[in-house]
Amino acid sequence: MFRQTFRQVARQSNSVVRRAYATEAATASEALKLSLALPHQTLYSESEVEQVNLPSINGDLGILANHIPIVEQLRPGLLEIISKGGETDQYFVSGGLATVQPGNKLTISAIEAFKPDQFDAQSVKDLIADAQKRAASSDEAVVAEANIELEVLEALQHVAK
Amino acid sequence: MKIVASTRLNKAQRAMTASRVFNKTDAEFMENAQPEKAEDEKTLLVVVSSDKGLCGSIHTQISKAARKRFEELNGSADIVTIGDKVRTQLQRTHADSMKLAFNGVGKEAPTFHEVALIADEIKKLGQYENIEILYNKFVSGVSFEPSKFAVFANDAIEKAPGLSKYELEGEDIGETLSDLSLANSLLTAQAEAYASEISARRNAMDNASKNAGDMINSYSILYNRTRQAVITNELVDIITGASSLG
Repeated sequence: MFRQTFRQVARQSNSVVRRAYATEAATASEALKLSLALPHQTLYSESEVEQVNLPSINGDLGILANHIPIVEQLRPGLLEIISKGGETDQYFVSGGLATVQPGNKLTISAIEAFKPDQFDAQSVKDLIADAQKRAASSDEAVVAEANIELEVLEALQHVAK
Repeated sequence: MKIVASTRLNKAQRAMTASRVFNKTDAEFMENAQPEKAEDEKTLLVVVSSDKGLCGSIHTQISKAARKRFEELNGSADIVTIGDKVRTQLQRTHADSMKLAFNGVGKEAPTFHEVALIADEIKKLGQYENIEILYNKFVSGVSFEPSKFAVFANDAIEKAPGLSKYELEGEDIGETLSDLSLANSLLTAQAEAYASEISARRNAMDNASKNAGDMINSYSILYNRTRQAVITNELVDIITGASSLG
């Protein structure tokens, strides 16, 4: 009888070990979970995606599943989200912060994000002309503001059609 | 009145849910990085509320929480208030520590632009190692509780023991993070406080309508009785007059 119990315990522990391996394998194959949040709206909430291309201040980045944790500041530019099915969703972001968290999660906080087809190329041009005028002003604060606007608008110019 | 407040509550709750998600990024990073609070440094308490009353005990609760926190910190704190109601309440007891007061916000759900301007003004007060944001957390339609967010300064983030979990490329990422975290927490705090306030106001308005109904009932009974008494008196007069003539 003693032996029987022992065997049972042994079998149990064996299965425990096997289960631990199984869950580990499951996490490794997990997809990248994207959360894309604006202050007033949530665009993606832990949705599984294939790849995300970020416009970072240090250059463009492509994030796939199992990326090491990073913190990146975004510059104005095009954010590309490639879904599991291979379709691409594009958003123009004005700036923000992207963080890859431990556990295969990518969270992006952007201040504003719009799809490229929501922009009007002509009004972008008008705004650029306006900002350039102000960038030549003598007031330092106005110049700084105009330069930030220009940075966003010039990036936007390539995107809007 | 209750219906007006109810529709506004739905809007406020939507804004709050969006801002909660927005703040989660930051919260998760802080959870992983675990920056430590700088001891023996002055703390800045930012008390978030609004200008308008008629919403129950919401402003009193947050002022109480602020006073309690001030005591816990042994008075080594400065106070910034957002909203006139908390300003008047805290000015009575802590006028010396009040550094800055904002008003005119909290009428609508907060926008990032508004919050960024407030965060900018707060940054102009100088460098605080610890910033705590006190606000009313929205728990459910009938309850709220005073809670707080901690915002860490640049140094605390750069010294955080969990920061090595992340790969950082930029030099001044700590500063960016701390700035964004301040604006972020302020936004969420304001959105939560706004939702709590609207729901408290809805309850206050509901109670007010009920009380007014009760008052109308008791007054209409009083009115009917008085009228009946007057009629009876007049009848008595007429009948007595008639019987004395006959």
